[in-house]
Amino acid sequence: MISGFAEAVYKKYDKSAYELMNEALSKALDMAGIQRSDIDGFISTFMPGIFDDNVYMHFFTSQICNYLGINVKYMDSMEYGGPSVLAAYYRAEKLIKDGSADNILLLFGGKGSLVKDRKITVDSYEKINDGVTNTPYKSLLNGYDNINPVSDYALAAQRHKKIYRSTDEQRAELAVKQRINANLSGYSMFTGDLTVENVINSPVISDPLHLLEIVYPVDGFHAFIVSKSAGKLRPVKILNYGEAHFTKLPVEMDDITLLSASESSGDFREKIKKCDLYELYDSFTITVMLQLENTGIVERGKSGKFIENTDFKSNGDFPLNTGGGSINRGQPAYMSGSVLLYESLLQLNNMAKNQVKSANRAFINGIGGWSRSHSVSMIIGE
Amino acid sequence: MGLTEIYNQYEKYFKGNILPYIKCNNCNYKFYYPRDMCPECGSDNLSIEKSNGNGKIYSYTVSNKNIWAIIEMNEGFKFYANITNSGTVDINKRITITFINKNNKTLPYGEIQD
Repeated sequence: MISGFAEAVYKKYDKSAYELMNEALSKALDMAGIQRSDIDGFISTFMPGIFDDNVYMHFFTSQICNYLGINVKYMDSMEYGGPSVLAAYYRAEKLIKDGSADNILLLFGGKGSLVKDRKITVDSYEKINDGVTNTPYKSLLNGYDNINPVSDYALAAQRHKKIYRSTDEQRAELAVKQRINANLSGYSMFTGDLTVENVINSPVISDPLHLLEIVYPVDGFHAFIVSKSAGKLRPVKILNYGEAHFTKLPVEMDDITLLSASESSGDFREKIKKCDLYELYDSFTITVMLQLENTGIVERGKSGKFIENTDFKSNGDFPLNTGGGSINRGQPAYMSGSVLLYESLLQLNNMAKNQVKSANRAFINGIGGWSRSHSVSMIIGE
Repeated sequence: MGLTEIYNQYEKYFKGNILPYIKCNNCNYKFYYPRDMCPECGSDNLSIEKSNGNGKIYSYTVSNKNIWAIIEMNEGFKFYANITNSGTVDINKRITITFINKNNKTLPYGEIQD
């Protein structure tokens, strides 16, 4: 069970990624009431550029344990992109149960600003270095003009508009409703009044996606400590869990609006509908819409109407991204999974400013990885 | 057929303004991104075919004035490419394949047929 959790998130952090991760760890240790020497398990992830601009970091889990001064008997790395932390949480619970470790540190994040300053993303790192190849198909994918991963989600949004008649205004309304939660959350980076017109009139980055419906890469780490007991926190458990991996290139899929979330959520659809709050991966507005449809919360093609007709506030009929989501928190190192888990834990522990009353079960869904292959669906609570 | 052979043949076809694709002779699956086995059935009984160059836009996005698209060819495979003319881009618009040499590299592009 999670005994401590913390975030250290800045729009642009001047010091090193290693100092930033240590800040998140120190805060989480304080909450858990344990010492650094009590940590005996470690799970993290690495993406190009996020640890002080290095393309690759040799044996990075070992190097980070060394830097942080933690000695572990178990270490691992998750490679699912944004939802990696959620999959790590599930694995950590199993490792605790089988006695492999007593206190496992999940440390996820990095400095997104350095990658952003190069005008690239972690997905397009190979563009700046001819010697770097990220895919088996580089020669047939490279050389064209696109801005992945934004273009990839834009292709899905465009197709969704054509097939299901969803509109720019519906996606904008989702951004507006998440901003209302952000204004109440007390910890969002992007706050203030936002209208549908503001979103529609913001620059089109990759048609049909506008600037204000896309996450902003920031610097940040989240630390979660998984232990035998929850300590001072509520004994939150993982009640249902599923993960799925559609490794086909989107271009080779029959339908680019069908996500791996359709499979990861498949075993507990009815339970998903009865949760008290919903934290859905919001790299882009369309990401949330596709998850609403692919996890069975709404019928396929109906997410636009659902956005128009539903109150997403903490006291509304469907509390969604109650902390304002990653679009308003900022996306630490191109991964939003930790933002979802952090807000869910605030809610379940009755620690949120924008608190959902009687929050006992949270549904979390994460999407990410190379060409959004991976989906992790989970219900946590008591 | 090894990967090097496939890529060499692709390059040769590109220079001759031909769009290649791979057909699995076991299950009939057609694909564009090279593997030395069929990703559907695992067979290595593959052949490189010539597309007739006609297809339609499956989806598209415009960024920095460039159109990035998923193109669905008549033969039944899809691939990524930029679209060369922007006038009336839309999903399901018919395209033909054209070839452009940029930075000493010839790649296929889509051209909208109105």
